[in-house]
Amino acid sequence: MAPTDEQLVEAFQAGDVSAFDLLVSRWDRKIQGAVYRVVGQTEDVRDIAQEAFLKAYRALPLFKREAKFSSWLYQIALNLCRDRLRRRRRSLAEVSLDLLSESGELPLATSGPSAVELAEASELARTVGSAVWALPEEQREVIVLKEYQGLTFQEIAEVLGLPVSTVKTRLYRGLGVLRECLEQKGIRNPAPVPAPAP
Amino acid sequence: MESKKDCDPGAMLDVLYGEADALTERNLRSHQEGCASCRAEFAALRGVRRSLGAWTLPARLQPRLERRPAWRPLLAAAAGLLLALGASLGLSGSELGFRNGTLAFRLGRGQDLERLLAAQEDRHRREMEELRAALLHPAAQPVGSDREEVLRAVRRLVDDSQRRQSRVLETRLADFQQQAEAQRRYDLAQVGASLSYLEGKTGLEMAKTTELMGHVIQASQKR
Repeated sequence: MAPTDEQLVEAFQAGDVSAFDLLVSRWDRKIQGAVYRVVGQTEDVRDIAQEAFLKAYRALPLFKREAKFSSWLYQIALNLCRDRLRRRRRSLAEVSLDLLSESGELPLATSGPSAVELAEASELARTVGSAVWALPEEQREVIVLKEYQGLTFQEIAEVLGLPVSTVKTRLYRGLGVLRECLEQKGIRNPAPVPAPAP
Repeated sequence: MESKKDCDPGAMLDVLYGEADALTERNLRSHQEGCASCRAEFAALRGVRRSLGAWTLPARLQPRLERRPAWRPLLAAAAGLLLALGASLGLSGSELGFRNGTLAFRLGRGQDLERLLAAQEDRHRREMEELRAALLHPAAQPVGSDREEVLRAVRRLVDDSQRRQSRVLETRLADFQQQAEAQRRYDLAQVGASLSYLEGKTGLEMAKTTELMGHVIQASQKR
């Protein structure tokens, strides 16, 4: 039977450094997936995932096993994503000022795929991806963790350091915004389920 | 007819994501029987979830092995050399920058190192003053022992300085080693993932070839 994350963390803390290799191979793809869906550009994904694991490696000897390892790792990765998005927004704001003087319009998107990525995706995937990237960051994070990473509400609350009720509110709002956005783009939801016969 | 205030989005989400207990699920179902807007909302959210499922990761995020061009090892060697140079500059606390239109290089970086060097400079200056005073007033010193005294002082200074430098160097080396080890482990795991992907792919191709061969043999036997 494969060792659990907690057993691997324990082994690492007891001096078995190779336990970290297993943790990386177990979580790398998932972390890259989450990072991609939050920051939206593949060239940043490997950097951020790698940095997250480097940070985890450094901090793992002091990791208190009160939280789940995966929640802690997601927390590190999301913090790095936020930093990256903040930097991108800042540089975009600087560019925007230049552009504003020329065209009078501000570019709005701070995250999103490159043209090549858009061309590769299917029509529906493109529409959905763009809709998710257009969400406010806090709603996008919750939707990514719930929908694509399959975390429970409790786990998301741990990762984001929020009460479960706030997590649900953000998710509910995010799904609502997505629903409107997708409907506007012609993606219709199925007709309401009829009430069961009495 | 249920009233709108009985609608519970939290319970709806629990049911939608399979996290509701039996009682919550039963309550929601029975509420939805009389609440058309809740039924519509639930169906719409389910539809959004279905659409979200269409958004898959791009192919370039899949692990893969590429053919290595011949210049790659050279590039790797050059990168290694630059890394080593950078690391040694970093370890020595140096700083390279572009100031006032010119390239500026400065030994010593970071407040700790600057403080350390400033303290060291003060100490040296003090000791130099003492030595100078001792040379100017030889009567104050025991005759015949001047030269040895100075030599001893200089040797002490050199020893102190060496000890301090190696302490700083050791600390920085430890940091650097830890970072390099983490990087190495991450790279190894990446290579492992790529290899298992390749193994899987090769296995699939083998199976396809075997299947094709089976068909060919069967066809030739029929003839």
